[in-house]
Amino acid sequence: MKSIERFYLLRYIKSPKRMLMRFSFVFMVLGIVISVSILSAGLNLFEGYERALKTVLLDSFAHIKIESGNGRFLSREQLDRIMNTLGDKPEIVSLTPNIGINLMAIDSVNTRGCVFNAYHTAEGKELHYGKFVVEGRPQVNDGEVVIGHYLAEEFGLGIGDEISLLYPQLRRVTPLGVSSDIRRFEVVGLYRSGYYEFDRSLIIGTLTDARSILFTDDPFAAVEIKLDNEHVDKAKEIASRYRLELGADLIAYPPISGDLLRIVAMQKWLIFIVFSFLVLIAGINVISAVSTMILDKKNQIAILRTLGATAATVRRVINYQILLVCLIAIIIGQALGALLSLFVVKQGFYRLKGEVYFIDKLEHHISLFNLAAVFVVASILVIICVWIPSRQINRLKIIDLIRNP
Amino acid sequence: MILSAQNISKVYQDSHRSITVLDGADLQVKKGELISITGQSGCGKSTLLHILGLLDDSDTGTIEIEGVRVNSRHPDAPYIRNSKIGFVFQFHYLVEDLTAAENVALPLLIAGKKIAAARDESLQILARLGLEDRESHFPNQLSGGEQQRVAFGRALANKPSIVLADEPTGNLDPANSLEVWKLMRQLNEDLGQTFVVVTHDRELAKLADKSYELSGGKLTLL
Repeated sequence: MKSIERFYLLRYIKSPKRMLMRFSFVFMVLGIVISVSILSAGLNLFEGYERALKTVLLDSFAHIKIESGNGRFLSREQLDRIMNTLGDKPEIVSLTPNIGINLMAIDSVNTRGCVFNAYHTAEGKELHYGKFVVEGRPQVNDGEVVIGHYLAEEFGLGIGDEISLLYPQLRRVTPLGVSSDIRRFEVVGLYRSGYYEFDRSLIIGTLTDARSILFTDDPFAAVEIKLDNEHVDKAKEIASRYRLELGADLIAYPPISGDLLRIVAMQKWLIFIVFSFLVLIAGINVISAVSTMILDKKNQIAILRTLGATAATVRRVINYQILLVCLIAIIIGQALGALLSLFVVKQGFYRLKGEVYFIDKLEHHISLFNLAAVFVVASILVIICVWIPSRQINRLKIIDLIRNP
Repeated sequence: MILSAQNISKVYQDSHRSITVLDGADLQVKKGELISITGQSGCGKSTLLHILGLLDDSDTGTIEIEGVRVNSRHPDAPYIRNSKIGFVFQFHYLVEDLTAAENVALPLLIAGKKIAAARDESLQILARLGLEDRESHFPNQLSGGEQQRVAFGRALANKPSIVLADEPTGNLDPANSLEVWKLMRQLNEDLGQTFVVVTHDRELAKLADKSYELSGGKLTLL
């Protein structure tokens, strides 16, 4: 940077009131602040959504599920093999045999398809779903269930109430058709994971009740595995490895589809691109401000050119002034964007529709990467919008500037 | 010879007619001379000065500064304007947003001097011009005479070979006009500074070493 350019830049910084606060800058600054704050807020909210969804999915679902290859319950030999092979794997946090049954919750008005899950938790270990039980208790005895809080709301149930579960008994065919079995359970806990589908359809009961519903003595339908944080993103590869280790009659797979998270991430960057156009539109004000400034500063341009400054130097001197204002506006916009996204999260007027967005709570997250991305993209757009009109300085003739100040 | 202009002519065209303002003007300026050019309003005095200062082009003729043939489109024209030529205009053309010292420092900064060095030098120049207590004043806080002295300080900052002054007293009262001429004479005698001054005031013009009149597009030594 040349001395004269450095001098002006320092002068702008040292005397911002005199050098930077101009009426022609007001709408330019407002445009940048508003567009950058919307861009930042959008990105913060999407980042928060992506992270919240990932957390909820990883917390709610097993990271790896192992089932029998023939679609039936696990045999005792298969279960022992799973426990012996995987029991001492350091990456596994929990290894929970379970039974899952698709059935229906009914009352005189409502019918809802649900999943009845029963887990075997080793003695002395915490129930892995315990942290999601927000009311009542997580421990269930025979005849008791924990249900999702949306299901409880839909059926108007609270702790101590009874819920009726209907399961078609395919093995008991009568002359009138398939016989159905209705059982009543006492609700002892309400479950809220944040994952809408679970909160609306999950019922947790005992293994004895699950086997009783199914009329089976077989021990478990599947084994659910939770991995530690370090390995959770490699669930797919680890499942493939376990499959090889366990043998061909068992299948291991990650029940969470990575595609969902990839789609959410893609949506976030699509939003980023769309909102970046707002900054580009704000750039029109920048173009207008630069053009106005060149007209306002014709005298100064004439003086600098007469004193021997090249057109390029004069252009840079003018550009630095506008760019400095724009960069300050971008930073203010980012700060406002953070506040805006925080407000959206804290406000009580709007909630996400769980059936559409999987989770029903808005979250925001400010990441350094996103801050840098917004800053870089907005800065590049602003630099382009400053550079284009400032080229007219090259075409100004000194003599015209002196004769028509 | 500091400056040599040969056969300078300039014709302005408008839609209806062409106006010849310079028609083969010649001027030779030696080191240490104080030269004045007078003439009626619109006779082309300022045009001649702009051509001599490489701010405008002539239609014909040549200009040599310290023996080097140049014009406003010469690649070194900005460098020559910065280092060899000093300009003073009627309306002083100070940068309103900068202080007196910063205005004087501008040519030094354009020449590439460090900011602190340029500031020190500009303070010395202002002191020489009797403006040491005005260094942090903005142009609108200075009188007309003070503004013109700051403009002279800026013109002299890079110790140019020649100072071209276009009606430097045109905007001043008689007392201040005389002060400005005294200042030029003092700089001429103390520093050997060369001046070419355009003025419409014939009385003041007589204070120069040589006085030319521009008439009919030609320069005539009075």
